[in-house]
Amino acid sequence: MEPYALSLGAAAAEIAARRLSPVELVDSVLRRIDATEGAIDAFACVTADLARAAARRAEEEIAAGRHRGPLHGIPLGVKDLCDTAGVPTTSSSKVREGNVPDRDSVVVEHLLAAGMVMVGKTHTHEFAYGAITPTTRNPWDVRRIPGGSSGGSAAALAAGTCMVGVGTDTGGSIRIPAALCGTVGLKPTYGRSSKRGIAPLSWSLDHVGPLARNVRDCALVLNAIAGADPLDPSTLHAPVPDHTAGLDGGIAGLRVGVPVNHFFDHVSDDVAAAVRGAASVLEGLGARLQEVTIPHADAMMAAGWAIILPEASAYHQEALRERGDLYAPDVRLFLEAGELVLATDYLRALRVRTLIQQGWAEMFADIDVLIAPTVPLAAPVVGTAMIPWPGGVTEDITQALVRLTLPANLTGLPSLSLAVGFDAGGLPLGMQVIGRPLDEATVLRVGQAYECASDTVGRLAPL
Amino acid sequence: MSSAPRPFSGEAAAHAARAARLPLSPERLEIVGPTVELVYALIDLMDPVRLGETPPATAFDPRWSR
Repeated sequence: MEPYALSLGAAAAEIAARRLSPVELVDSVLRRIDATEGAIDAFACVTADLARAAARRAEEEIAAGRHRGPLHGIPLGVKDLCDTAGVPTTSSSKVREGNVPDRDSVVVEHLLAAGMVMVGKTHTHEFAYGAITPTTRNPWDVRRIPGGSSGGSAAALAAGTCMVGVGTDTGGSIRIPAALCGTVGLKPTYGRSSKRGIAPLSWSLDHVGPLARNVRDCALVLNAIAGADPLDPSTLHAPVPDHTAGLDGGIAGLRVGVPVNHFFDHVSDDVAAAVRGAASVLEGLGARLQEVTIPHADAMMAAGWAIILPEASAYHQEALRERGDLYAPDVRLFLEAGELVLATDYLRALRVRTLIQQGWAEMFADIDVLIAPTVPLAAPVVGTAMIPWPGGVTEDITQALVRLTLPANLTGLPSLSLAVGFDAGGLPLGMQVIGRPLDEATVLRVGQAYECASDTVGRLAPL
Repeated sequence: MSSAPRPFSGEAAAHAARAARLPLSPERLEIVGPTVELVYALIDLMDPVRLGETPPATAFDPRWSR
């Protein structure tokens, strides 16, 4: 097996045992980038020289006995929304062309301090405002979208061109591409990790988290990036456990909620079957399945958009007026429309959000986690604008892609997406596991239990 | 509260854009208007939710040092 095809955990074990050097690993990944980038265009820029230099430093440190831990020497892709010192950070937008930050975002700072080696900046849907990532293609079928907005990170992971991708998630932007590209993606609890140095989309809904090839790899990265930041007022002052500690503890007796509304409405048969099959696997492992009704389901999308639209427009207010023609047409239209949302509608959404949060807290009195499809379908073909559903119903593609992920942003709850099947065309299908506030450990434990009992997690795309 | 649809076109739309100090040409307004109508229709799906005394989910923290 080529080194690029290893998971983070497997590569870390090889490095720790001195059977693999970070230099060999990074060279393998850079060769893989050369071989695949023409087809998928996952990276906004590749930092090959910086990566080789960092890999050499890692090799020297490890040889000198200064091994920093499992992330040391591991190739990393960073979403182009996140500041990186001395490396262009454009949010995949002409509006930010030529922008070179002078310091790292906090999440990058943490990962580089843990010894990770950044191989490049991965494409985002412009300013994270969309679920397509139009620059990039899906490695499982390059005629299809990777999802977004962290589409570059997910595509790179699935293609073997990084071992960890940093993502952000406002309405599903980690989990949607993770599902469509067959990777694992974790949106932690709101405020679990600092967003300082990351271009905001919607301050009150933005999250940052990892995409990786398997559940344990996500846990390892979460350990490195979680924690309060005194300069990011949204971060939570809460203890950070070792998220790998109870990973293999099993799920016997765990109460797993299966929604009877919202999450299985207008979902493809393949996705519904894969998620229900995964539920059966969890039940076979000792979990107790319990049907639950999602509260305020009809108001969730409305509240989400009524918050995202004006918050995004507030952030871009100046640039929209000065350089509006530089935005992509879809993003410009969202920003203009968001200017015209009434303040009373915004506040109404924030009040509905309070009720949604209360309703979910009550629902979780009877369950430990909720499982649901991540997205309602496999990766759509590039250019798809509307999704047809039975009964003559059609749905805008962005609405369809965020419909099942946005609830975890509104509630701020941790949510893990992982592959639980493949359709007849070989495209991955995703399930999300949503947990209680700050209980990433249980969410990851459920994901790990499923991963160990199946063969759907951790596959590379046959590119 | 009235659940009537909220039209966003013509002079009313131009006025709203001016009130937002958002320079939209008539051509641009023809594109933005229908989108805003869709956004309003989506937002109005919250109409049936009885809010009573529910406060907004804001995150302001009055402490001076955190």
